[in-house]
Amino acid sequence: MTMSTTEEMRSYVTLNEYDVDHVHSTDFPGSYHGYDDSWDFNRFRRNFWIEVTKLDDMEMEFDMVGIDAALANAFRRILLAEVPTMAADKIFIHNNTSIIQSEVLAHRLGLVPIKVDPRMFEFRQEGDEEGTDMDTVEFELKVKCTKNPNVTADLPDPYEIYKNAKVTTKQLKWIPRGNQAALHHNNPIRPVDGDILIAKLRPGQAIDLRMHCVKGLGKDHAKFSPVATASYRLLPKITLKQPVVGEQAERLARCFTPGVIGLKEDEDGNKVAYVDNARKDASSREVFRHEDLKDAVDMKKVRDHFIFSVESTGALPPNVLMCEAVKILKEKCRTFLVELDNLTKK
Amino acid sequence: MASSEETPKKRLTVAQTDSTSQFWEDSKCMTFVLEGEDHTLGNALRYIIMKNPDVEFCGYGVPHPSENKINLRIQSRGPPAVEILKKGLLDLSQVCDHVLTTFEERVTEFKQDMTDKMET
Amino acid sequence: METPNPAATPKEGQPSSSKAIIYVCGECRQDNEMRPRDPIRCRECGYRIMYKKRTKRVVVFDGR
Repeated sequence: MTMSTTEEMRSYVTLNEYDVDHVHSTDFPGSYHGYDDSWDFNRFRRNFWIEVTKLDDMEMEFDMVGIDAALANAFRRILLAEVPTMAADKIFIHNNTSIIQSEVLAHRLGLVPIKVDPRMFEFRQEGDEEGTDMDTVEFELKVKCTKNPNVTADLPDPYEIYKNAKVTTKQLKWIPRGNQAALHHNNPIRPVDGDILIAKLRPGQAIDLRMHCVKGLGKDHAKFSPVATASYRLLPKITLKQPVVGEQAERLARCFTPGVIGLKEDEDGNKVAYVDNARKDASSREVFRHEDLKDAVDMKKVRDHFIFSVESTGALPPNVLMCEAVKILKEKCRTFLVELDNLTKK
Repeated sequence: MASSEETPKKRLTVAQTDSTSQFWEDSKCMTFVLEGEDHTLGNALRYIIMKNPDVEFCGYGVPHPSENKINLRIQSRGPPAVEILKKGLLDLSQVCDHVLTTFEERVTEFKQDMTDKMET
Repeated sequence: METPNPAATPKEGQPSSSKAIIYVCGECRQDNEMRPRDPIRCRECGYRIMYKKRTKRVVVFDGR
């Protein structure tokens, strides 16, 4: 399938040895003679599709095709910074005789992901120090390390001879406020993981604290980001401009991620390279380091095909996070439509 | 608790318009200031507005990284700039709706396929 | 970032002249109850450097 250079420019980002071409979208009305690039929702609907390739409680991968980078990036940015989560923000330390400084302890507790649906809570009002049952989740951490009386002193393993030497998130006790116990009856609020190590203690040391978790955004502090990360890459398009056989074919296959270039045998038994699965490629551009191979390959990316990866920290499943992100973008539009109305009304 | 006299902070203002008449609302060229927004909305809106054939120019910028606001300038070939902005916001909102429904459908389909596969 | 909370344990000013505070000896780590103007000396080993115990007041930190 031959494509005119204009079509190629419009559709693909080209990876060259030392630079990248045609990065920006140019499909605006008037840019190209003979093309109608004006916004047409029906045309968008026809060309837009999504396909989910992986989905579980923590991670998902899906393809979003037929959309511009401006919008795909908006979704990515919102996933990282504007989808709310609950996290510990004020730590009330009654006692800390551990070796971990109180401020370090507080910092670590803030980063513990909490398994609670943030949509069931409100943002805390400015200036409210105590919080209400609608905007605060409280935990207590009360651990004292003692010597284990049963064991003789021979065993050096501290986790045998001491009780509570390791303080983990499992020891965070939820203190329900107001309605919370009833509301969250089937899903008691707890940290996402019970095996996160918070501090280590030795006999005589103790930690006694309370923490208030509030709703916040990644924009404010990274602890509030609901994603371990959310990212996308463009679908690679790799074409062989000339036949590559034998030793060169084998070397070519090694230049790419395994599975991208396949080798098949022709009638004479020679190995011939072909593009098997360009999607797997991670764009190392190793092929450009081989003088005899660099002109044989065309490396491009499909400009409107985004392979999204969303990894949740556990509060909400990744598909829910994506839905929330889209809703947030829509809400931004709604806000400014209202503002615009107010502006032009008077 | 908001009292009835408290006005919510204005998030959209006009920084510059080249209209000399009293009715700046009909002006074809305007620079809007959107408070509390960044590239997330800025670039997305700019893209949608640029797709409007009546738009001669559309660009956005962050005047200073320490200040959380964007300037969005629209130069129109015909309709008032405010109308162009409105259409841009409506179009973007429509895209969001479509993306959301499509995404939710595909997720349901995928989950169904998974359960079907597990049962065989 | 810390915010000491003086409101946590309200106390009057005056009884401090007879209020016994427990200090910890620098050498034998024994608790020593002392009052203002008491000679500073560990009851057990006679060491003369005492450390004050951690406050009982709640200290608030930002989890950031």
